This record gives sequence, structure tokens and C-alpha cells, in this order.
Amino acid sequence: MLVTVKNLSKTYKKHIAVQPMSFSIGKGRCIALLGPNGAGKTTTLQMLAGLLVPTTGEIEFAGNMDKDHRTQIGFLPQHPSFFNWMSAAEFLQFAGELSHVPKKQLARRIEETLAFVRLEDVKNKKIGGFSGGMKQRLGLAQALLHEPELLILDEPVSALDPAGRRDILELMKQLKSHMTILFSTHILHDAEQVCEDILMLKDGNLIWNGTLAELKQENGALAIKLQTKEPIEGVLEQLDIIEEVEYVDVFTAKVLMRNLADSNELVQTLLQHGRTLIHFEWLQDSLEDAYMKVMGK
Amino acid sequence: MRNFIILFRKEMKEGARSGKWVWLPIVLMVIGISQPLTNFYMPQILEMAGNLPEGAVIEIPMPSGEEVLIGTLSQYGTIGTLLFVLAMMNVISHERQTGALAFVMMRPVSAFQYMASKYVAQLCILLISLAASYILTWYYTNILFDHVAWTLMLASLAVYSLWIVFLVAVTLFVGTLLRSSGGIAGVSVVFLSVISLLTTLLPKYMEWSPGNLRAEASNILLEGEWGSSATLVSLSTLALSVLFFGLAVYMFKKFERFGE
Repeated sequence: MLVTVKNLSKTYKKHIAVQPMSFSIGKGRCIALLGPNGAGKTTTLQMLAGLLVPTTGEIEFAGNMDKDHRTQIGFLPQHPSFFNWMSAAEFLQFAGELSHVPKKQLARRIEETLAFVRLEDVKNKKIGGFSGGMKQRLGLAQALLHEPELLILDEPVSALDPAGRRDILELMKQLKSHMTILFSTHILHDAEQVCEDILMLKDGNLIWNGTLAELKQENGALAIKLQTKEPIEGVLEQLDIIEEVEYVDVFTAKVLMRNLADSNELVQTLLQHGRTLIHFEWLQDSLEDAYMKVMGK
Repeated sequence: MRNFIILFRKEMKEGARSGKWVWLPIVLMVIGISQPLTNFYMPQILEMAGNLPEGAVIEIPMPSGEEVLIGTLSQYGTIGTLLFVLAMMNVISHERQTGALAFVMMRPVSAFQYMASKYVAQLCILLISLAASYILTWYYTNILFDHVAWTLMLASLAVYSLWIVFLVAVTLFVGTLLRSSGGIAGVSVVFLSVISLLTTLLPKYMEWSPGNLRAEASNILLEGEWGSSATLVSLSTLALSVLFFGLAVYMFKKFERFGE
């Protein structure tokens, strides 16, 4: 385990932003932190990044007894706001020096990260004139600069246009191979694309902690879409292998199955009752369904 | 120490890019040399401006060079103080409000290093501006009035500089308490004025007050020597500055969040 979080919580005067939560982050994993707005995602990430003092709890990094883990973390805030009078290269120089990157290495790292986020053409331009996407990419560059063990990204793509979003997601996919990434988002599709682990927050509570596959398995029942030539009604109700039926129209139904293996029986029953099957589809479980289920609990 | 130097360099660069290194010395120089110039040309100015009856004779005793410099110090005490506070009211609040502070504090930087870099950097800008202005004023005073020894000029500048040391510590501390620049400037100016006012109202109980620094500096110019009261005021001012700086670091550590 790279990071172990125990009983972490944050309380503002009366408002409890994050209830005590414990989880751990495995080395090399990519974890998405999901939850609606105001669930405490940013608060949690800021506590992990050392920008916010937790009310209770501990954050332990493997092999680091020190209380200050800031050298091991790269953080991209939700709305990165830079020193606008600096140029991109100057800012990275400043950030790298503060993180104690050795001088020779720093020059190389600045070139590398600028190339990685494709900002080498504008490296001597003032940050004040950057677009939102460029700022986000520069934010990613400064988070990567000192080669941290854990990369924390707070809503890295929420404020971007589709092209910018794809850019950042592609970069994250490349980073995944040699870094542990924790990022928050409320766009489920993005989480599904890059992550294997999911943490879900609701009203400051950690309500799910596990892999994406487990989440889908546990919270998504198998759904099948059926369409017949003859009206379909009247057949499916008799079957006890079916959990729920939803009729889209007279010929089409969506069926929730208790068990995957029973789908053959379903088809047989339909044929026996003289229905001609013209469409049979396994509806892939989306993360959205699972998300809604967990949130609704 | 390394972080302090990095942050200090950044402050210096920011001062240069934002033009503070240009406008502050220029404005202070204008304030400074206006004193000897208006003193020297006062009769002509009155003649030009006032609707004096013909034949009126204006006789203004020529002040000594020391008196002109004392007048300059008094200008620094009023307009100068206001200007200094305005020049550095948002050194912390601006970074805090925009969220740029997060980019500093997410790296292994301590509150002390951060505050010390702000303190020393602002002190540099203000003191160098003040010295430039004062020395230029001294130069003009020497040309237009009688000669003032450079040792006296430097001694009075050194004593008066302590007021800046105190002012920067107070303004930084207020900057950690409040978020809006206007509030920071207002509270700092009011606090500094109250100190000066109390010093004049209750001279018996306020011998230690930094508000006496200007009087001590004037004293050095007039008497030509360093009195024991000057030592007391200097030491107490330094002690108070350290106290306010310490409080500022303490308050900074207590910030709930460094982000937006």
C-alpha cells in the first residue's frame, strides 16, 4: 500500500464536510473519486495534498515516517490559478526549485513535462494569456514535475471543452503506467475510461471503496433487451427467473435477470409461446447504473 | 533556507514585473524633494498664487538644512506611511484569494519561510525606495540650503528606517487576519495612526513607542548625537516587529486552507 488513510475527517464550525473515513491506495493503481457536488471530494483531496488540515485522522505514506508528505505528492487544484506574471517555463522552474529537484535534473524535467503536455511552443509566454485548457495542462505539468509517487487531480477535466478533455484523459492514460493516480470527477464516463478503482462519496461519507469491476458486478443486475414480431406481453410475467420487466412498447421489453445463466431459458420460453425473436441484446451495465444504485442506498 | 531564497527571488521578480520597483521609488522621491523645493521657492510661490496687495513684503526666515530634512521626515510619516501600507497590503491576500498560494504550499514550504520571504522582500523594496528618496532630498537640501553632514543624514535615516521595519511587520500581520486588501490597508493605517497619536497624547507612558522614531530621528539631526531614549525606542521597535512577525507566522499556520 502506498497510502493509508485512517479516520480522516473535516469539520467546519458546525458543518461536517467529511465524515471519518479510512481507505488505502495501492501503488500503481488509478482511483477515481466519485460523488455529487458538495460530497466532500475537494476537501478530501486537499487534505491528502497537505493543503488543508484534517480535523481528525492520519495519512500515512509507506516508508515515510515524516508528517510532511508534500514531496511525494503532485497536486492539480480544481481551478488552477498561477502567478500570471510568470511565463510557463519560469513557473515550472519556481515550482521545481521549491520541490528540491536537483538543478541539472530540473532543466531536463521542465523540457520533458512541457513536451508531455504540449506547451513547449508557449513556454516563454505569460501564463496570464493562457486559455483554460492550457492552464489545466500547465497545472498537470507542475504536478508531474518532481516525479511524485502519488498524483492527485481535482476535477481535471470538468472545466474543459471536449478536445481539452480528451487531451487530459489521454495524458492520464499514459501516466497510469508509472504513477499512482487519484482523481475526482463527476463525469462517470471519464472514470470508467481510465480507472480501475472507485471511491464514492456522498454527503461526506465514503459509501463505496473497491474496484470498478466489483462495483459493476455487485450493483448491476444483468439486463436483456428483447424484441419480438408478435406482441410480447403475457409471456414474461410467468417466469420466476426474471426480476423485473419493463415494456418499451408492445413488441419490446427490457428484462432484468437474477442470473446470467438463465438467459437461454428466457429465449426458450419465448419460442415455446410462439413469439418470433427478432432482437436479443445484452445491455451492458454502465457505471451510471451502478453509481445510481450505490448513491440511492 | 533554500526555500526562503527561492521565494525571496520570486518576490523580487514580482516586484520588478509589477512595476513596484519603479513607481514606489519615484513617488517617494517626488514626496521627498518637494520639501526642500517648496521651502526654497515659497516666497515666489506665494507671490504667484496669492492675491497679495501690491507692495506686500513677504519675509520667510530661511530654514536650516536640518529643518528641511525634518520636514521631509514628517512627509514620510504621513503620506509615506499611507503609501507604504498601500504598496504592500495585498502581498498575502492576493495570492490567497486567487489560489496561487496553493501552488506554493503544496510543496515542502514552511509558514516561516513563506512569511520571511514576504517580509524581507517588502522591506528591501520599501527601504531602498526610502533611502533613494532621502538621499536625493539631502542632495537638494545641500544645494539649496546649508550643508548637513552625511553622517547625521545616515543616522537619522537608520533610525527612521525602524519605523518601516515596524510598519511592514504590522501590515503583514493584519494581512493574515483579513482577506480584503481594503480592510488590511484600513486596519493597518488606523493602527499605526493610533500608535502615533497615543505617543503624542501620552508622552509619559509611551516612551517605548515606535511612534517616537520620527522625533528621535529629528533629534539626531538637530542635536547631532544619539540619545539614550533613541536606543530604548529602537530596541522596543525591533522587539515589537519580531512579535508582530511571529504572530503573522502563527496566524498563517492556522489558515484553514491554502486553496481557493
